[in-house]
Amino acid sequence: MTPLSEHTRWPAHAVDDYGRDPHLVAALSPLARLRWNVHVTGAGNIPSNTGALLVCNSRRFSLSAVYAALALTDTTGRTVRFVGRPDIAPLGPLMRRVGALLAHPADVLGALRAGELVLIAAAGTSHARHAGAVPHELVGQAVIAQVPVLPVTTLSSSFGRTAHVAVGMPVTTRRARKGPLAHVELAEQVQHQLQRMLDAIGDEA
Amino acid sequence: MGSELGSLVAVKLEAQPWVGSLVGLDSDPPRRRLRKAEFHLLKPAERERIVEVVTAFNPHVLINISVWEPDARAGLRDARSFTSDAAVAIIGAAAECPALESVVLRSGIEVYGRGRGTPTRPDETAPLHPTSEFGKMLLGLEQQTAVLAARAGLAIGTLRLAPVLGKHVPSPLGRLLRQPVVPYSALADSPFAVVQDGDAADAFVAAAARRLNEPLNLVAPGAITTLQAALRGHRIPLPLFGPGWGLAGRLSNMFGAPIPDHVIEVMHRGRLADGSRAIEVLGSTPANSTAQVIDHLYAWESVVRVGSVSQAVA
Repeated sequence: MTPLSEHTRWPAHAVDDYGRDPHLVAALSPLARLRWNVHVTGAGNIPSNTGALLVCNSRRFSLSAVYAALALTDTTGRTVRFVGRPDIAPLGPLMRRVGALLAHPADVLGALRAGELVLIAAAGTSHARHAGAVPHELVGQAVIAQVPVLPVTTLSSSFGRTAHVAVGMPVTTRRARKGPLAHVELAEQVQHQLQRMLDAIGDEA
Repeated sequence: MGSELGSLVAVKLEAQPWVGSLVGLDSDPPRRRLRKAEFHLLKPAERERIVEVVTAFNPHVLINISVWEPDARAGLRDARSFTSDAAVAIIGAAAECPALESVVLRSGIEVYGRGRGTPTRPDETAPLHPTSEFGKMLLGLEQQTAVLAARAGLAIGTLRLAPVLGKHVPSPLGRLLRQPVVPYSALADSPFAVVQDGDAADAFVAAAARRLNEPLNLVAPGAITTLQAALRGHRIPLPLFGPGWGLAGRLSNMFGAPIPDHVIEVMHRGRLADGSRAIEVLGSTPANSTAQVIDHLYAWESVVRVGSVSQAVA
């Protein structure tokens, strides 16, 4: 049976399983490109068809998770969902339409188990090259879902358009823990790795 | 067996080689021609008679689809009492049957509720905090069945369905979406998922065949918002803010499409669920995506002209 909407000029849009609207994202992408000119490196480290948790550093008010998710979606061709939408209208529903999830462990776990790429941000800092604390309750969901955790550094200027996103290698913990300590140690390890990557950028600069 | 979903399940069960005999109960007659099934027209309150029929039949599997969604076939008060009466009588009677091995129960994803901070796509392990009358009814039904089944040592499989839509399914959500003017939340317009009646019926048959012993979410792939659904169906979308909903509710009620609180909740807060476990356990994905179910809903012609009787005879 031919869908009713194919016979008409009315838009026949729908959203995906999480409420992300690809048409809206496509419409907003030129605006995002107007604001940020993002250079992505290391995208090859992202799995091509399985789930992964990406963790980025975040300078306060820089919207680094948003531009990193949009840039990585463009580069990899896979939808990268970012965490941190408020659960209140109208901002929450709008952010959901562009791919945001709640900062809720169950939301993150469900997406990772479904093979999605999920980007979370470390705690915001006032300095662009400082990695804040990584939320272990969210990183722990990657341990439960048995998916890799990848550090992602973001650098942008408050007024300029240029932004950099670099994806690192998957982070593993030194000790094999079974309990919740594994989550905390993995979060600490990711924070250290992010800081190392940010320091390396500083050296190169 | 008198509802559209019940009749569909009965037709599909009749075609199964593992089904020897089939008995159905409902307060409405079946909506399809049944060849093997024996049907009893009984009201939910006729407990003695229900017990007599069920115990005499002594089934191996019981499928309880007797859930009255508020403002679908009955108003809230009746829906609540019919659902509860039917559950007590049917499950209670079935627990007396020595041959019974498992119970498959119809529930809904409304049991998860849509309070602030609840997961966007709850899976079966998510806490049950219903925030609508229908959700509370379904949770009560699940709990009631669990208690009775635990006493009798029965396996319970629960299918938590997304809102069921179909051409002939009496659904308050379907009715609202088919109105010429469809209200939607201007501030939220949250996404929801649905499931086609035929896909839900297939899931009940698969669950009965596998003697399902756990809750499963049954949700069609994808999601849609009310605005998108209205546009797909060429309806006039009407954006509403807070107080506008009261007026829209009264007007909609006047035009024969009351909007119960669980449908309002769908429009404001959305209703999604993770259906991956059902695919894993039942071995099949719902054939129709949410967008397709919505298209089918609008493809249903309001009036089907088949010509006069004399022309047909000639």
